[in-house]
Amino acid sequence: MGCSSSLPDRSSGRLVGTNSENGGAPDAKNIRVKLVLLGDSGVGKSCIVLRFVRGQFDPTSKVTVGASFLSQTIALQDSTTVKFEIWDTAGQERYAALAPLYYRGAAVAVVVYDITSPDSFAKAQYWVKELQKHGSPDIIMALVGNKADLHEKREVSVQDGIECAEKNGMFFIETSAKTADNINQLFEEIAKRLPRPTTS
Amino acid sequence: MADKAFHLLQALEPRRDAYGFALRPQHIQTYRQYADIFKEEEEERSDRWKNFLEQLSTSARPCSPGEEDKEVLHADATQEGVETIPERLGEGNDSSDKQSISDGSSASDHKREVQQTWAHIRLSLGAIEDMMSSRVKKKTQNMEHEQIPMGEVHLPSIEEEGSSNASEKDFEVEVCLNALNDRVNEDTVENAVGDGVSNSVNVAVVEETVCDGFSDSVDAKENSMGDSVSDSVDAAVVEKTVGGSASDIVDADVVGKTLGDGVSNSVDTAVVEKTMGGNVSDSVDATSRPEQAVGDMVADCVNAKGEEKAVADRFNDTVNVAGAEKAVDDGFTSKPCFPWREELECLVRGGVPKDLRGEVWQAFVGVKARRVERYYHDLLAHTGESKDDDSSGVPRKWKRQIEKDIPRTFPGHPALDENGRNSLRRLLLAYARHNPSVGYCQAMNFFAGILLLLMPEENAFWALVGLIDDYFDGYYTEEMIESQVDQLVFEELMRERFPKLVNHLDYLGVQVAWLSGPWFLSIFVNMLPWESVLRVWDVLLYEGNRVMLFRTALALMELYGPVLVTTKDAGDAITLLQSLAGSTFDSSQLVLTACMGFIGVTEARLQELRDKHRSAILMVVEERSKRGRVWKDSKGLASKLYSFKHDRGSLAEEKKTTEGSDVLAKGDESHSEPHSSNLDDLLDSLTIDPEVDSLPDLQEQVVWMKVELCRLLEEKRSAVMRAEELETALMEMVKEDNRRELSARIEQLELEVSELQQTLADKKEQEAAMLKVLMRVEHEQKVTEDARISAEQIAAAQKYEVHVLQEKYEKAMASVAEMEKRVVMAESMLEATLQYQSGQVKAQSSPRGTRNQGPTNENPKRTGLLSFGLGWRDRNKGESKSTNGHDESKSTNESGESKSTSDSGKTKQTSEGNQ
Repeated sequence: MGCSSSLPDRSSGRLVGTNSENGGAPDAKNIRVKLVLLGDSGVGKSCIVLRFVRGQFDPTSKVTVGASFLSQTIALQDSTTVKFEIWDTAGQERYAALAPLYYRGAAVAVVVYDITSPDSFAKAQYWVKELQKHGSPDIIMALVGNKADLHEKREVSVQDGIECAEKNGMFFIETSAKTADNINQLFEEIAKRLPRPTTS
Repeated sequence: MADKAFHLLQALEPRRDAYGFALRPQHIQTYRQYADIFKEEEEERSDRWKNFLEQLSTSARPCSPGEEDKEVLHADATQEGVETIPERLGEGNDSSDKQSISDGSSASDHKREVQQTWAHIRLSLGAIEDMMSSRVKKKTQNMEHEQIPMGEVHLPSIEEEGSSNASEKDFEVEVCLNALNDRVNEDTVENAVGDGVSNSVNVAVVEETVCDGFSDSVDAKENSMGDSVSDSVDAAVVEKTVGGSASDIVDADVVGKTLGDGVSNSVDTAVVEKTMGGNVSDSVDATSRPEQAVGDMVADCVNAKGEEKAVADRFNDTVNVAGAEKAVDDGFTSKPCFPWREELECLVRGGVPKDLRGEVWQAFVGVKARRVERYYHDLLAHTGESKDDDSSGVPRKWKRQIEKDIPRTFPGHPALDENGRNSLRRLLLAYARHNPSVGYCQAMNFFAGILLLLMPEENAFWALVGLIDDYFDGYYTEEMIESQVDQLVFEELMRERFPKLVNHLDYLGVQVAWLSGPWFLSIFVNMLPWESVLRVWDVLLYEGNRVMLFRTALALMELYGPVLVTTKDAGDAITLLQSLAGSTFDSSQLVLTACMGFIGVTEARLQELRDKHRSAILMVVEERSKRGRVWKDSKGLASKLYSFKHDRGSLAEEKKTTEGSDVLAKGDESHSEPHSSNLDDLLDSLTIDPEVDSLPDLQEQVVWMKVELCRLLEEKRSAVMRAEELETALMEMVKEDNRRELSARIEQLELEVSELQQTLADKKEQEAAMLKVLMRVEHEQKVTEDARISAEQIAAAQKYEVHVLQEKYEKAMASVAEMEKRVVMAESMLEATLQYQSGQVKAQSSPRGTRNQGPTNENPKRTGLLSFGLGWRDRNKGESKSTNGHDESKSTNESGESKSTSDSGKTKQTSEGNQ
């Protein structure tokens, strides 16, 4: 956990807040980004984060109460580094009342659904609308269909996902936290889509 | 024995702590360090508690029951002292009539199972239980779906305790009634159960009797399974104390009658006792039975005074008057009715021993007083029946959520096996049905799990009811209003206490609620190490409110604030605090810091702040609910929530206003009373009737505009703050940019230096190796030199030998030469002799003619021999001259030669001899 906190000096001088908010940040090589995960309960939000940050998968993970925080830095091809500050929120409907606390000011929102659950897909669409209304105007949104390894139980088609994503100007990907499929790709794609401070 | 088993368990599964909860891998080491401390503390506190309880039982009951209890305690202590918690769940608790939840929890035998899963706590804790029970609100009455109208009238008089202080001046006639209310108020608000009536308005006598009556009732309860009957009312009744309800009625009757005649303080006190003890719930439960509810009786009493309506109204109006709590607060410490209350508080802060914890918690929450006979069983029966029927059972969405969350509750905990999970499911479903305004909220699964680990199933249910309905009222409801309010309150407290830290967090862009939100919602479960969580819960349950939540969070900030201030990045700050909080193994330090360091944070103060901030939250919630029409039922829920808050009084109006006849609304209709009673007037003034909402009304627009304005103001404020923040950030950046470069450079240089050092070290190593090789070479050289010298010596020796041999050879040659000379001489002599002989032969010619022939024949022979010897010798001579270097062969030749010469010499001699 404390991997990054053990070396707090390293990040000294980095930008405060997310780059999307700061616009012309001189530190083009090191981007910091606030990312929030939203979606129905049990779709695997925490699992995606754990897979991405620690490379682990725990089929019996704990219920997230409130929200939990993790951060991870990745390096891109062009030698820029992107530090994701990930807020993993609780999935139950009523916790939506607290979600604005976490998605406010977020540069990236990852809306997750479970490809085996149409309900969770509907919930994802709710979140998209919610973000369009209350999120930052230039928020980057990704629609993620998780549990892609359970394709024999699939109930939400890829086409539906793509359509929904296109309609809302989102990036779409299907992942599996269990098999680690597309997890890193998801975050790399997001990183690529981030506005570069120098170009703005 | 069990200890052994436990250690075995530890050895097998080192990743779980003493409570069977999983440890994070990074904490295993630290946990091991603290395990011994925990053990020591545990031993110490179990001794202290034992002494305390012994004292308590002897002082409370001077006669035989006390001894009896002592025995029970001993028995319990010996039985339970060795029990570990996982075992408790797995094997069942055999102290008293307890049954563990896993026992007999086969789904088929529903009835038996439910009956078995209720258990009384040990008698020695009875005194504490009684003290705590008195603060239990009499909500239980509302659990029954059919309510007696009288019960409703009476209800506020007991429940709406907060009002009494403010209203008592107007009701001086009803001193006793006020006393009653003050008491209840005090108990519920400050948790200082049994500290007597504090208010100055109240007549001292009343206080006295209340106190007396109460402590008497403790005895009575001990003896009669929890019937609190006051001695001061009717000694005869006390002595009898037959069964639960029967005595109640007698008692209540007496009260009613005496009240009817004329008000007597002591009688009133009895009513107080009655209503505060746990019996009301029993009697309410028995509404269908011939015995009338005590509630009715109480209501009658009020009736007798002729002012009951006014009183009730008044109470309604003045709920939660801020000043009330303060007054109570002051009086609360001054008059402890239970002299051991302070000692108990001290003990609780020191922690509750593991083997007592489950029962002590039950006593704190007042499980017995809350319990309604068969209520849990009925809930389970209903949830079982209406499996797919949303209208009467638990709504499907909660069921689904519960199903999702059960395997995600303390995954892998040894006690949460198949049976444990079934218990958990039943508990959560029952609660969802019991209180539809909460239903099921994530986090409750953890609470239910903890409670199930510590107590039988039905006890756990009532504890959960107490926790969620009372302690965390409004926290886990659909809109989570109170939890949001608490976040604002906490932030304000933070700004007050740690301005520097909050400034830093602001600067980093970290909101306090990001950090504290999960703490509060989970009551620190999964946020702190288990030992600490349980210690915090000890105090929280004892105090009966959320003060400990705030104090603990503040303590964490105090402990880790100084480190947080050094962080330079929002992510780092949050990660750091998360990991630090997660390794707060020093639970004693945490609890003491919380309790001692933040005494100023009291319920009264919190209540004040909550009232201040609630309006902001309500506005936001309202705005959301208005805007959120997209999402199907959010508006319906919200408006329903408001409507039931709005008109707390009449049920009829409630029906009118709940437009959406969804399940929740229905549930709330029947359950609106308990919740409405707790909400303050502020709500009323702020909320709008949903009926108005539906019309395009001016009022709506005004409210909407208000909300909008509020939102805009907030946005503006945050924008300004953001701008400032950015400015400082920019400046900081400019300042630090260079520093960062430098530090990077330094890092690089350091790296280089270390590389160079490495190569240097390598070089040195090589040098040493070379030196070694050199030395070896030198040594070898020396050896070869020696060898050379010795070889030279050998050569010299050989030379010498050669020389010697040469000399010998020369000698031999000389002797050969001599021999030759001799041979020559001999030859010449022979020649001379031959000549002489021939001269002789010439002289004597004929006579020796024949004889002469013989020697002439001999002669050629002799010369032949001689010439052979000479030729051989000459040949040898040449040979020896050519092989001069080979000493040996020469020597052998020599010897051979000398031999041959000697041979020839011999032959010469023999031939001479022959001559």
